[in-house]
Parts: sequence; C-alpha cells; structure tokens
Amino acid sequence: MEFWKDEAEPIKAFLALFAASAADPELFEGLKKVNQLIWFDYTESGPNCSFYVDARGGELKFGAGKPADPPDLTMSLSADDAHRSWSDKLNPVMAITRKKIRVKGSATGLLKLAPKLKKVAAIYLKVLKDLGWEDKIIK
Amino acid sequence: MNGNTGKIVNVDLTAGKMTVETLPEEYYRKYIGGSGLAAKLFWERGNFAADPLSPEAMLLFMNGPFAGLRLSGASRNSVAGCSPLTGHWGDSSCGGFFAPELRYAGFDGLILTGKAAKPSILLIVDDKVTVEDGSAYWGKGTDEVTAALKAKYGKDYRTLVIGPAAEHLVRYTMILNDGHHATGRAGFGAVMGSKNLKAIVIKATKKDMMLADPAAFDVLRKDLNVRIKDALASDVLHENGTAANLMGGVYSGDVPVKNWTSNFWEEAADALTGSTLTDNYLTRRGACAYCGIACKRYVEVKDGPYAIPDGPGPEYETIVAFGTLIGSIDLAATCKAGRVCNDLGLDSISAGGTIAWAMEAFERGDLTLTDTGGVELKWGDLDTVINRVLPMISRREGKLGELLADGSVAAAKKIGKGLDYTVHSKGLEAPMHDPRGGGHGMALTYAMSPRGACHVADPMLFVEMGARYYPEIGFDFMLEPKTGENKAEAAVMSVALGAIENSACFCQFADAEVTIPDWLALFNTVAGYGWEAKDMMAAGKRVFFLKRLINYRYGLTSADDCLTPRMLEPGKDGEAEGSQVDLEPMKARFYELMDIDPVSGIPTPAALAALGMADEAKHVA
Repeated sequence: MEFWKDEAEPIKAFLALFAASAADPELFEGLKKVNQLIWFDYTESGPNCSFYVDARGGELKFGAGKPADPPDLTMSLSADDAHRSWSDKLNPVMAITRKKIRVKGSATGLLKLAPKLKKVAAIYLKVLKDLGWEDKIIK
Repeated sequence: MNGNTGKIVNVDLTAGKMTVETLPEEYYRKYIGGSGLAAKLFWERGNFAADPLSPEAMLLFMNGPFAGLRLSGASRNSVAGCSPLTGHWGDSSCGGFFAPELRYAGFDGLILTGKAAKPSILLIVDDKVTVEDGSAYWGKGTDEVTAALKAKYGKDYRTLVIGPAAEHLVRYTMILNDGHHATGRAGFGAVMGSKNLKAIVIKATKKDMMLADPAAFDVLRKDLNVRIKDALASDVLHENGTAANLMGGVYSGDVPVKNWTSNFWEEAADALTGSTLTDNYLTRRGACAYCGIACKRYVEVKDGPYAIPDGPGPEYETIVAFGTLIGSIDLAATCKAGRVCNDLGLDSISAGGTIAWAMEAFERGDLTLTDTGGVELKWGDLDTVINRVLPMISRREGKLGELLADGSVAAAKKIGKGLDYTVHSKGLEAPMHDPRGGGHGMALTYAMSPRGACHVADPMLFVEMGARYYPEIGFDFMLEPKTGENKAEAAVMSVALGAIENSACFCQFADAEVTIPDWLALFNTVAGYGWEAKDMMAAGKRVFFLKRLINYRYGLTSADDCLTPRMLEPGKDGEAEGSQVDLEPMKARFYELMDIDPVSGIPTPAALAALGMADEAKHVA
C-alpha cells in the first residue's frame, strides 16, 4: 500500500471521517438521504480492510467490517484509491469506468451524496491532521 | 446484403408515387447508416437551393444496421435534411419503436419529397406504401391523433405524428413516435407539416433479416444486453430517469439558470432531480424497443394547477428547459409543460430556450408589452408559459406567437435587440448542459457540431465526466472539465465516435458499455465488414466531414463554428464561478488535428482523399 502501513490504518481514518461527518448537520442530513446500507469493501488491500455505513430508516450507523445485513450497495476498491477518493483526488466516475472502483447494487443514493464530496474531503483533511497523519495528506 | 436490407423507399407526395430503390453496399460501408447514410443521400440528391419548408425539400428517415436486432439501445432512427430552424444540415435521433418496424417492412430508410394535395397520412404495411386521407386529424394534438390512429389501424401499428405547431410551420417542431418518443431537434416536424403529412403509420410482419454471422451476433447480443442492463449508469437511469444526476449537475454548474445568466440554483438540486420525480409523480417506467435500461418515465400530477393524467413524463432536457432555464423549480409545472409541448409538437429544448431568451429580453426592456401583444413575460411564471405562450407559439398567434415561432435567433433579429444573449450555435438553441460547468470540451463540440449546439452529436459530455474510456484507440484521457486542456485531442475522437453512434443509431446511454472490440464485433457479425478499429473510426470521421461539406454548400464556414457571447462569459456563481471557455485555441488545435482549413472550415483535399472522399473534395474545390 502506498499510503498505509497496515490494513487497520485506513479503516481507522475512514471511521473517524464518518464520525466527523455525522457531526456536521448538513452532511448528516445528506447521509441520511442516501437511505442505503453501503459496504465499502477494500479487502483487496487486506482481508479485514472494510467498513460499512448504514443510513437506512433515518438513522446513521457505521462500523468496521462487513455488515450483518446484505448491503444495498458495495463499492470495492483499494485502500489507497479510497484515500484518494475521500481526499477528492480521484474522479469516481473515471475510476468506475476504468474498473478501479467496482460497484454492485443501486448507486442512486450515492448520487445524492456526490455533491457533498468536496465538503467530505475538507473534513477528511482535518481528520488526518487530528490523527497525526499529515504525511498522508495528498498535496 | 447483410445487416441492412439495402433498400429504401422514396415517396413523392406531390405525385403520390412510391419507388423502392436498392443502395450500393459501399454506401453502408462508408457511411454506416442513420444520419451518416442520410448525409450521403442528401449530399447526392438534396436540393440545396430549396427552402426547407418547400415541396422540393427532402426529408430522410434512416435506420442503423442494428435496428430490430433485439439489442439494447440499438433500435433508434435518425431523421435528417435541411433544418427549417437553422437553414443548414440537421439531424435528429429518436428511440421508440419506428426503426424496427421499418426494418421489418424491408426498408433501411424512407425519403419524402413533394407535398400532398391535402392533409395526409403515409401508411406502410410491410412493403406496401400508400398515402391516405389525413384531413380528419389535421389541427389536432399528437395525443388525440396517436390514439385515433391506433384505434383505427390497431394498437400494434407504430405512429409518427406531428402536432398543430408543425402544421403552422413553427421552426422547432418535433415528430412524436407512439405519443412518447420525440425526434425533437432541428424542426423536422415542420417539414412534415409543409408536406401536408400529419402522420406516418407503420406495421410489418416479415422480420426476415440477413446477418453475416447470426450465431456469433447472437452470443454477442446476449452478452451486451446483460452488460448494458447491469451497468451502474443503467441502474441509475432506470431508477430515476435521464434527470437522475440533475442534482450533480446543479452542483457542478452544468445546469443553466435563467437563460444562462447563472450556473447555480441550489434549491433546484432537490426540487428537480430524478429521484424527486420518482418519489412524487412516477407511475411506471418505460423503454424504447428492446432496451433493458428503461429510462423513460410515466407520470401523473394528481392535483394543483399543473395536474395531468398518467402519461409520458419529462426527460432531463425538458425538466431544465421548463425549470431553472426559465426561472422555475416547480417540477409539476415541468411535467405539464413537457406534456403540452408533446401535444403541440414542440421541441422542448428550443421552446424553453426561446422563451428564456424572451423572458430576459422582457426583463431588460428589449421586449415590451407592445411587442408581446400584452403578454407579460416573467421568470418562473409557468402559468403564462403553459396556458398562453406555448399555445400562441404553436398557432403563430398574436405578436408574441409569431415572434417566437421561428426561434430565439430569428426573434432577436426581428426586434433588432438581444442577439448577444441568445444561446445557440449555428442557430440551434443549446441543450441544457452549460459547458462552463459541465466541461469546456463540450463548448468546442457544440461549436463544431454540424447541426448546431448539441450534446448528443458526440459523447463529449460523458468524456469530460470520465465516463468514456477506449484504450484500444488511444482514447485514454484524464480530463479536467473546466479547462481547455487536451479537449481538442479528445474532441477529434469524440466527433468520430459520435458520428458512429448516430449513424449506427445507438443510444448514448446504452453504448457506454460497448467497447471498441464490441463495436467491431457488432459491425462484423451483422454486416460482415471485416473492420478493424481504424476502418470504423475512418467511417465516423468521414460522416463528420461529409456533414461539414454539406454545411459548406449552404454557405457555412469556420466563422460559424462559434458560440454566442453569453456562453463565453465567465460563470458567475457556484462551482462554475470564473470558469470561462477559451474557444479559439481549442478550435484552432481541433482544425489542425483534423486537417480542416481554418478559413473555409472544411477538410483539406488531402484529408478528404485519405478517407476516399476525392469526389466530394472536387465538388467543393
């Protein structure tokens, strides 16, 4: 991996990102509108490298690993590309077209979140700084 | 002949005479079909001196080679000729159900000339083509006429119908298939109207088609149908229609607001996006022939001032053209406006664009109550638009109807004001994608498109999003939308790919999943061309060049490859703030790469000769 020393690091960063995003009222509302259970599958970077976001039913939960329920949407990519993506340094459409991101299930909910990705990236930047991982920030 | 029937039917409506003609296979190899084949036939036979609304004008309906072959997205057709709106080459693509029926009847195309003595209907039943009395339908809306024709001939008869606006020769009128699928752009409804042809009704039963390698095609077809249906974009389109990503477009600055004076209206994102249409008004989904995506909408607005019964719903273009473009975020109103445009037979893009121009002109005082005959034009006043302006335009009624019936450019010229804030290229009102937000490459292809500002002449809209990738032909661009960098290079391939799509009559949503090897396998298993990628790309480039040559014969030059001042202003707000299209360097580079003369705007003789177009080169020498 280019950015991470082990498979635990990215999940720690991404869960911190979602915790911070959930604390932002605008993003919280945006995430709830997704109304799906999404599994972010980075297992190509390690067998335990994944997390889920459950935005069904007006609630927002997230945690490490694969969700117990079948996900509405699975996004599979490497942990490095996930880092680029949350940093707003990876065009998701281009990545999907080039098969860097594989998507299974309905992506209609994600379209509602897509316009918020710049704001998510700003929060991610702060999360990385708070974790003392400034060296991982993509210039 | 494999893949195509090889036959077209010529109908002289003045004489009431039909002749079936067999075309040389070379025509198909060189120009594929659809709008490419139409361009070839128009080049040879078109009367370039004829008014597009005169009997001498030629109107061509052309299929692609995959029509009726049960392949998702591949059964569209093209309508082409001289556009009455722009006065030069025009073509317009339509899905629906006409193309397979025409093929099953044994024809790749239909060419209309002349003018019937009275309102008429063209009836095609297998290879029998007759002109019937259509007087009973004249003056009536497409909805009523479609229903009446299906009641008379049978539900399984396919219809192409024009509305009252086309009878009144409004220059941006469409042809509606089965009451839902529009050949929208360039005004060909009026050409039918000028020929006293209210409708074409078709039914065929034969379905005998020769393919070069039917077994290999069938394997490919089944594979492609699954891939197209399962694609991420297809899922999104199926779920929420062509406006599925309107929200994303609002935030990127792609969605024009108030005649392109703004690129950002945040409330529009939720109010108009496809999922809101689904949640509030969708009754069911529909599809064009054999398509697994099913992006078409049926909607019902149950109550309120814009109540409409269950029926065809608006596409993205209509939602924006009668939404943000004219200052409204009332989705129910766009549903009704779309329904009214369909019934009157108006192209919703040019109608919305023309009305948006008029609203700005009124706000500025360039149009007065005297000019409009007392009609006040205010941003977002959909009541007036739906109940007064659209009906007036369709009948050329009053000062306002007459003024707006010829489009925004003609209206600005007529009042001698407001040309600088028209939004078009080559006279065709721009679609609902603003290149300042959507991507500067699209500005280049709007300017280069032979028919005028067009987002479906080529796939540049998707290219700049990152949704196209063809490494086999070196089409491997990582583009930043809001710059001009590498856009000319991308456009060179994009215009050729677009010409292939529109000549093969393949839907841009479906063919996103078709790789270059797939395209080649399709042409080779269906038509047996034995093509390599270079042969196919040459055909695309040839079609693009031929349409430019046609325009040159109409007097267009490189000076017409332009955008209006409004489109070249910097974006004022949202993500497009400060985004300014620098067209000239992109244009110069495009000409250089395409070997197009920067003054005449046509390919050099050497460029034409390299594509086997030496005869065409002689004609314009």
